Amino acid sequence: MNTRLVGGLVLLGLLVASCLAGLLLVDLDDARPLSAAIAHPPSAEYWLGTDTAGRDLAAVLVLGTLLTAKVGLLAGLIGITVGTVLAFVAAYYGGWTDRLISAVVDVLLTVPGLLVLIVLASAYPGQMTTTLMALVIAGLAWREPARQIRSQVLVMREANYVRMARLSGQGGLSIIFHEMIPNLLPYLGAGLVSAVSAAILASVGLEALGLGPRGEPTLGMTIYWMILDGAFLRGLWWWILEPVAVLIILFVGMYLLVTGLDETANPRLRRRA
Amino acid sequence: MFVVWLGQRLLLLLAVVFTAASLNFLLPKLAPKNPVETKLLQLTESGGALTDIKDLVRAYEEKFGLDKPLLTQYGNYLRSMARFDLGYSIAHYPARVIDLILRALPWTIGLLLTATFLAFGIGTVLGALIAWERGSRILGFLAPGVMVLAALPYYLLGLVLVYLFAFTWRLFPLQGGFSITAVPALTATFVLDVLRHSILPALSIVLASIGTWALAMRGMMITVQGEDYMAYAQANGLSAGRRFFSYGLRNALLPQVTALALQIGHLAAGAVLVERVFGYPGLGNLLFQAIEQSDYFVIYGVVFIIVLMIAGMMLLVDLLYPLLDPRVRPGGAG
Amino acid sequence: MSGVPLLEIAGLEVRYELVAGPVLAVRDVSLTLRPGQRLGLVGESGSGKTTVALAVMGLLRPPGHVAAGSIRLDGQELVGLHPAAHAAMRLSKVAYVPQGAMNSLNPVLRIGTSIGHALAAHGIRLSRAALDAKVAGLLDRVGLPGAVAARYPHELSGGMKQRVCIAIAISLGPRLIIADEPTSALDVVTQRQVMQTLRAAQEALGSAMILIGHDMGLMAQSVDSMAVMREGHLEEEGAAGAIFSRPAHPYTAELIRSVPVVGGPSKGSKVPDPGTEAQPLLAFEAAGKSYGGGLFGRGAIPALHPLSFSLPATAARIVAVVGQSGSGKTTLGNMALGFTPASTGSVRFAGQDVTGMRGAARLGFRRAVQAVFQDPYSAFNPFYRVGRSLMVPLLQLGVAADRAEARATMEIACRHVGLDPALLDRFAHELSGGQRQRLMVARALTLRPRLLVADEPVSMVDASLRAAILDLLVELRDRHRISILYITHDLATAYAVSDSVLVLHRGRVVEAGDPAEVFVSPAHPYTRLLIDCLPWPDPEHPWGNPVEEAALQREIKDAEGDPPVLRPGAGRLALQCPGLSISR
Repeated sequence: MNTRLVGGLVLLGLLVASCLAGLLLVDLDDARPLSAAIAHPPSAEYWLGTDTAGRDLAAVLVLGTLLTAKVGLLAGLIGITVGTVLAFVAAYYGGWTDRLISAVVDVLLTVPGLLVLIVLASAYPGQMTTTLMALVIAGLAWREPARQIRSQVLVMREANYVRMARLSGQGGLSIIFHEMIPNLLPYLGAGLVSAVSAAILASVGLEALGLGPRGEPTLGMTIYWMILDGAFLRGLWWWILEPVAVLIILFVGMYLLVTGLDETANPRLRRRA
Repeated sequence: MFVVWLGQRLLLLLAVVFTAASLNFLLPKLAPKNPVETKLLQLTESGGALTDIKDLVRAYEEKFGLDKPLLTQYGNYLRSMARFDLGYSIAHYPARVIDLILRALPWTIGLLLTATFLAFGIGTVLGALIAWERGSRILGFLAPGVMVLAALPYYLLGLVLVYLFAFTWRLFPLQGGFSITAVPALTATFVLDVLRHSILPALSIVLASIGTWALAMRGMMITVQGEDYMAYAQANGLSAGRRFFSYGLRNALLPQVTALALQIGHLAAGAVLVERVFGYPGLGNLLFQAIEQSDYFVIYGVVFIIVLMIAGMMLLVDLLYPLLDPRVRPGGAG
Repeated sequence: MSGVPLLEIAGLEVRYELVAGPVLAVRDVSLTLRPGQRLGLVGESGSGKTTVALAVMGLLRPPGHVAAGSIRLDGQELVGLHPAAHAAMRLSKVAYVPQGAMNSLNPVLRIGTSIGHALAAHGIRLSRAALDAKVAGLLDRVGLPGAVAARYPHELSGGMKQRVCIAIAISLGPRLIIADEPTSALDVVTQRQVMQTLRAAQEALGSAMILIGHDMGLMAQSVDSMAVMREGHLEEEGAAGAIFSRPAHPYTAELIRSVPVVGGPSKGSKVPDPGTEAQPLLAFEAAGKSYGGGLFGRGAIPALHPLSFSLPATAARIVAVVGQSGSGKTTLGNMALGFTPASTGSVRFAGQDVTGMRGAARLGFRRAVQAVFQDPYSAFNPFYRVGRSLMVPLLQLGVAADRAEARATMEIACRHVGLDPALLDRFAHELSGGQRQRLMVARALTLRPRLLVADEPVSMVDASLRAAILDLLVELRDRHRISILYITHDLATAYAVSDSVLVLHRGRVVEAGDPAEVFVSPAHPYTRLLIDCLPWPDPEHPWGNPVEEAALQREIKDAEGDPPVLRPGAGRLALQCPGLSISR
């Protein structure tokens, strides 16, 4: 098996395991403000310390990881579903339908996503929740899957086995579901993971800018509060290091998983490795 | 062929700028309550005495008022965008948005350009070497590190660097573009002060994107090494140096430059967050403050200008690309 | 055999040290080569012929290495030579003409610069003007104009690129030229040009040449001695004339026999022609296809000019559609299958237009018209076992009532084409190329179609299996009365199996009629050129020369746009090309 894939799975597995352990050991209600001492360094009572609003950081990190994962999974799933449907519509109908969809995807891929998301997210001041966050991000998460799957379908449409299926009297839907989709499964799997990863990246970025859900302690919001409340100037090292460490593990894990899956799902990459 | 290609690229960039402008206009309208109008309403209610704000509201309603049909509003909006009339800042009325942006722009351009080209150069050569010297111990040791760097967003690496170099070891300032005590003038002291402040933000962009460039280049270089012309060059007794530079690097560079044009958008977006981490007085920080104050005209203005900047840089890369690749050169038979 | 040997290979053994254990790529190979001698190193892929060449040039890649034996060039031992010294010998003493000339030149360098790099690598430093003159001289020696020096590779054709590689090979006057299948990607006409250029350049230098390849016809026309390799071992060695007239080893004899030639026995149908039919099986009615083009069809590129022809309904026939790539032959096949709609005219099967059929008519058409493609690997969905692609049409098209009946039909068809029915439960990657193509034929057999479109069915199959597959096609016609549209670039196989032939050139039919007429005494200059360029597996057979070719090319140009030449037997096809009057 691919070393990157293994590395990614180990890092993410570590994160999931600590979250599960955290669920048993900490009270998630302590992630609310004023449920603990204020700006308290790690101690026997607060293992990971507390922040300036009186949140227990152990609870914040467990809940934050779960919430961030929720945003990523939701946005990624919507993105890949919408993207796949658009890709098949474009590749199957061809002609002007294809040209229109491809042009929109090309333009939107060139527009820097984070900036569009900033405009979109800033339209909901004070109303932001993690679910809304996921929907906002899903608004752009379909672009990359649509482009990649469309080109896969176009290649596949010319494959001899698809031509054979036409000769066998199979209709369009039968060809899509019986001949194409099974062969696309590895790509769809890799595409889902990479869409989830991109969604997490975008959500944490938006949150760090202050566009996230202010009532929910996601990982990105923790970074936002930490910078806003001057953790550096006050010397609250634990408040800086802990969310940064969790995010590094999350991002590196996702990255290894995505590139590892890409190599496995894409034989062209596998050969040159 | 070149003219067609250039026409397509120009069309794409025009579409991108137009789309960005349109999204600025349309996305807020999608929200159940138009945030701009809500904000202005709040202001008129709370600060009824401030005639300044009333002027602002009147100016807004004249152009975009709810009484006007959507298409008229849209037309007005596009016209003013085309003239770079980005309106007034709500939080700092009567400051014009374009003035606020012009004040912040040099900081961002300076930081972004230096960091981008440094990272692109170093990353590309590093990646090519990692692929070429596959037996080398040192480079083999570097590769996993490069991969970790590639995985991290710039601002996260920025936080790590601030923690280490500014917070723990106090080698560099924590925040800002220059010291509060410094006198902004073209003196050696001030320039040095600015440089000292820009090292960490620049380093976080450079380090994180070196990883991306090195990995992409490594992949391309490995692909190129499998090409027939590499084997043929060796069969003709060409030296390793010539094969590395004129054959391997030279060809692997082509997709890398195309990627540069595509990555500029991500780089700019990433830089926005880095500025936030460092309180660097560029567009990113301006954007952050505007978000904090719900200063919508500044938010839309900054986004529009950044998109315009990106489009301009992409066009530049596109125009330079034919210098590298004879296959898309004007007048060629291909 | 007199003279001092130039190259002496003795007891050469090349091993690849793999994790699973060492693999012997070459074992106990001994060869000698005199100055000026042309040696053909023959074998199928994996025979070790390229490995021997790489060992001579010092380009074996780890984990491959010379485990035993010696290679002496001009008396100097090459085994164990310092890599730098070996690199200095490449091009200056041993020059290499690569297989993939298409991609062997650096795409971002002008041709002149590429040649300059090769010279500079061997210490030749020239002034700009001297270099330009030297490059122009080299290009001239391979028949290219000096202006080519300022071109980039993408601006040159495949044949021109291969000539540039020959120019580089002779630039330092090497003692030995190794040419590794130098014409494998070229059409027969360009193949002859390049091979003759290479021979002339080598003779002018007086250097020796090793030609690596598997095409015995090409060998017969190009070399004066041969070495036949199989599985890393030298099977036979000797003068080319002797080997072709009296092959000592059965493997060599088989290789020679597997080269199809025009003019031998053919397997045309014995069934007499039907009289006038009310409704032909397949009819092209002024059907043509153009691609692209803006408004009002201006600037559209014609892939196939409008033509009419028909296949009889009451007698099964094999009609060969012959042409080089870009001739429109594949477009014609796709139109017959209903995959490519005609842009003008129509294609009718049993009276019905093949595009836009719905419901029962579509299923009926699909059952009646089937296909065998060039690449049998991609014809099977990698996600399923191969049996599924035989099962689906049987059920879908109502040929079999249930899975059990379908399975029984499939197994009978498998045995019929000489396959074990157990193979039906394998995946495509577990089968050999020949097995896959046989399965495709078996699939066609189960459906009992009336027409089979076979697009290059044997071009990706090993030479030894070719004959077996072609025999199956003939059997489909004779025993199962299936008509076949046989689309190919290979004139010899077309001659061997077809009843009628259409020769396509740039989207137009140039000649049509009985294969015995068209191929044995071609009337159109294009057909004549193709026949002339075929390399015969007989060193005595003439291979034409550039002067004759130039004359033919002129004639082809003059004849462009002329109606096709109709030869005896063409009447059977009822061929018409709208807009062109037919000459007889």
